[in-house]
Amino acid sequence: MIPLAYNLRNLTVRKTTTAAAAFGLGLVVFIVASVMMLSNGVRAATKRSTDPNVAIVLRKGSNAEMESGIDEQSVGLIAATPGVAHASDGRPDAVGELVVVVLLDKVGGGFSNVQLRGVPDNAMAFRPSMKIVEGRAAQPGTDEAIVGKAIRGRFKGLDLGESFEMRKNRPIKIVGVFEDNGSSYESEIWGDTNVIRATFGRQSIVSSVRVRLESPDKFDAFKANVEANRQLNVSAQRETEWAVKQTQGTALFLSALGFVIAFFFSVGAIIGAMITMHATVAQRQREIGTLRALGFSRLQILTSFLIESVILALAGGAVGAAASLLMSLKRISMMNFQTWSELSFKFEPTPQILITALIVAAVMGILGGFFPAIRAARINPVVAMRGG
Amino acid sequence: MSAIVELKGVSKTFYRGKEPVPVLENLDLQVEEGAYEALMGPSGSGKSTLLNLIAGLDKPTSGTAKVAGQDLTNMSDGELAHFRADKIGFIFQAYNLLPVLTAAENVELPLLLTKLSSSDRKTRAKTALRVVGLEDRMGHYPRQLSGGQEQRVAIARAIVNDPTILVCDEPTGDLDRKSADEILALLEKLNKEFKKTILMVTHDPAAAERAGVIRKLDKGQLQ
Repeated sequence: MIPLAYNLRNLTVRKTTTAAAAFGLGLVVFIVASVMMLSNGVRAATKRSTDPNVAIVLRKGSNAEMESGIDEQSVGLIAATPGVAHASDGRPDAVGELVVVVLLDKVGGGFSNVQLRGVPDNAMAFRPSMKIVEGRAAQPGTDEAIVGKAIRGRFKGLDLGESFEMRKNRPIKIVGVFEDNGSSYESEIWGDTNVIRATFGRQSIVSSVRVRLESPDKFDAFKANVEANRQLNVSAQRETEWAVKQTQGTALFLSALGFVIAFFFSVGAIIGAMITMHATVAQRQREIGTLRALGFSRLQILTSFLIESVILALAGGAVGAAASLLMSLKRISMMNFQTWSELSFKFEPTPQILITALIVAAVMGILGGFFPAIRAARINPVVAMRGG
Repeated sequence: MSAIVELKGVSKTFYRGKEPVPVLENLDLQVEEGAYEALMGPSGSGKSTLLNLIAGLDKPTSGTAKVAGQDLTNMSDGELAHFRADKIGFIFQAYNLLPVLTAAENVELPLLLTKLSSSDRKTRAKTALRVVGLEDRMGHYPRQLSGGQEQRVAIARAIVNDPTILVCDEPTGDLDRKSADEILALLEKLNKEFKKTILMVTHDPAAAERAGVIRKLDKGQLQ
């Protein structure tokens, strides 16, 4: 095999052209990695707020809490289903919550929907990962609310001590800020169920019921039980599985958009790499001829130039992937198409994403280097050594 | 002595567009093992083409070419590459060293086609450089060497694999007289001490005189 040092040193000899081609390839890897991290961020934000022991019950046919409505009287029935765990106070470990959206002005212009969750007094106890980081919890039965860390201060009236109007002349005051490991709850406002019901005219209705089961394997029996009760007209899902569905559309949209952009960029980058490698082959005709004369086969020449192209792409890819990691410092916010409300999340890198991005780089290197490598392999040593 | 090169009725025709350009015509040649022969002739007389045929870089249009006991006439491209790696040492006018590799790495190149271990390859490359008197320049890149030194590295590369025949195309063409004489002395040493068969194309009568046999080629025919 032609030594790797030959390829590496040739790349470093032509610093400018190598850097230009690597930049193009790196840019694609940056986009691909960023999009995957974003998509993963959306999924992770929703999934993080889930518990494998928890089942969520929605009205039959509804997939999002926003679309669902369950009679408040049913909450007790659902909570009393066998398999539901009990909290330390002896009550079934369950919460019935109402979810609505409010249209709020963004700080800095524009407006967006924000999810407002009406919660019972045990809602925070039900989610042990959630904690107040500033201010205090809202008093039950009052016009007080707490806001998630991710949207705090990003909408008018959503900072500690401020208030906003849920509806005309129905102000609600922010008394605390909570966090929940970066979950999607951090993009919500939480207030008292009854106050929110009264404000939005949704008396005796909850959107969802979450129950903590004694163990995840009690789910099938629980599901069969609640769904068998025709009066309830509900369906149960594991919260973990339901959460994935909640962001599937948004994550898919982001991935599709990103990959379309990445595709067009990659065409450019592959052409860039191809031009660089063609120029390399043309410049090194005599060297290729010499290698052939020394007895290196066409396949060995082809492999050597393909390897050089892949090294070039991986170098660019490594820089692109490293740059994409910087994106994880950034938090962004966009509409979740399942809930039609604002979801704030981060770019979340994983080793798999970085490996995939580098594989993308290598594939671009192979595609860009293939034709120049074929050309190199087909060089006639006699002709090559006569010229150049 | 047996013939190490045996060409019978060899013709080579190139095509300029559709027009045939005969370069070698019905040529017979025998070179004995251990010979040192110079091939002279005006430009375009077919010297390099003849050398390329013997070295297995090209194939005759008609006739047969037997070199080092192998019939090259019907060999595939891959078989010819294998033959070159095994039997032929090349010395070019422009040295043809790879500029990004050091002297030792350049010399080691042909050994990468063998099954030798890395340490064996390095030892042999070092030995070859010692033969050409450049053991102390092993880590130098071609650009750090003089023309004469570059050609000596090229000779070390040509002999490292212990080939049967050394094929030299104007080996002193780019050198000053002093360096040229050093290279010619080295070739003589390789012929006499190491029993290498040497075929050398040259325009330089002083170079040709060092060879045991001088053959003249004109218009595709040996005179």
